[in-house]
Amino acid sequence: MRPTKRDDDAVVDLLDVILRDGAVLEADVIITVADIPLVGLKLRAALAGMTTMTKYGIFEEWDWRYRHRARAEITEESHSHSKNTNE
Amino acid sequence: MNDATIKEGRYLYCAVSIPDRESDFSVTGVDDEPTALIAIDDVGLVVHECNSLYDTDEVDLLRKWLLQHQQVVDAVGACFGTPLPFRFDTIIRGNDDRVREWAHEQADGLSRHLDTLSGFWEYHVGVTVEERELEAGLEARDEQLQEITTRIDESETDGGTNFLLEKQYKQRLAVLKRRRRDERARTLCDRLADIAHEVHDRDTGQRSIDLTDSKDDEDDRMTAQLARLTLLAHEDREEEIGDILDDVAVKPGVTVRFTGPWPPYTFTPAIGDEQECKNATN
Repeated sequence: MRPTKRDDDAVVDLLDVILRDGAVLEADVIITVADIPLVGLKLRAALAGMTTMTKYGIFEEWDWRYRHRARAEITEESHSHSKNTNE
Repeated sequence: MNDATIKEGRYLYCAVSIPDRESDFSVTGVDDEPTALIAIDDVGLVVHECNSLYDTDEVDLLRKWLLQHQQVVDAVGACFGTPLPFRFDTIIRGNDDRVREWAHEQADGLSRHLDTLSGFWEYHVGVTVEERELEAGLEARDEQLQEITTRIDESETDGGTNFLLEKQYKQRLAVLKRRRRDERARTLCDRLADIAHEVHDRDTGQRSIDLTDSKDDEDDRMTAQLARLTLLAHEDREEEIGDILDDVAVKPGVTVRFTGPWPPYTFTPAIGDEQECKNATN
């Protein structure tokens, strides 16, 4: 048999790999998936088996606060970095 | 997109070797952004301009972005050979010059990894077997099962002893099925390991996030997962892998899924720190 790329299930399977794997770049100027709260949260929730609880809203408030804070930090870092670069 | 803006950034898809080639390459990327290839000596980095993170709570949108990410990396692979794919949503702060600066700093590592991966691709193999095929002939070969069956036949149909014996039978059958499944999976794994550069047994239970629309159906309960493997193999060995899988697929009740060649997402290193041998599945 020959490998295929046309299998719908296979593509879904691959999307999970893309979300989880791929080369990680370690540098101050890099923002990676680890900094992205929602995707990061979903990963952690799935791994910890908390998906159902999140689904029913138990973590919604925490999720919102977590994402809000992380976004603010990223934005702040970005601005301070561009400021430093400009200086 | 979301409200976390970056003043200026470049979304990174992958790195690729571009010796003696035109660095003219552009396809549509994540969120329909046009991509560009930034050439740094013989290494090309495929990017698009962005000023925000890609974060969403809509699974459909996330799925679209992931597909677009994959389509870009795939197109790069088809054009230039095996790419070094970066993790989804990897963004570098700054403009093209900052990307060049970073790539120069990492030039040795990027070139080394691209050389190592040259000609190698990721393949996914999934093998399922029908439960009834997994059970076939087990009782005839197992004295313990035969003994339990005899005792069941001798006991009262609706009695407590009968109930417990039935339970014992199911437990013993489950053990034997698991052994048979493990044995078959190990045999397949060993055969593939002789041909592939690396074989990873993937965790069958967990997906990071449910990106499917499907629900459990009757078929899922009638089949068992025999193996779910990720292979890193040279493109020249693809046919041999297919031949091995053909041998497996002819067995009764067995279904084999063989997909690829994909960019080697699972077999990529961490770049820019001391632990370059990182692998996400280890």
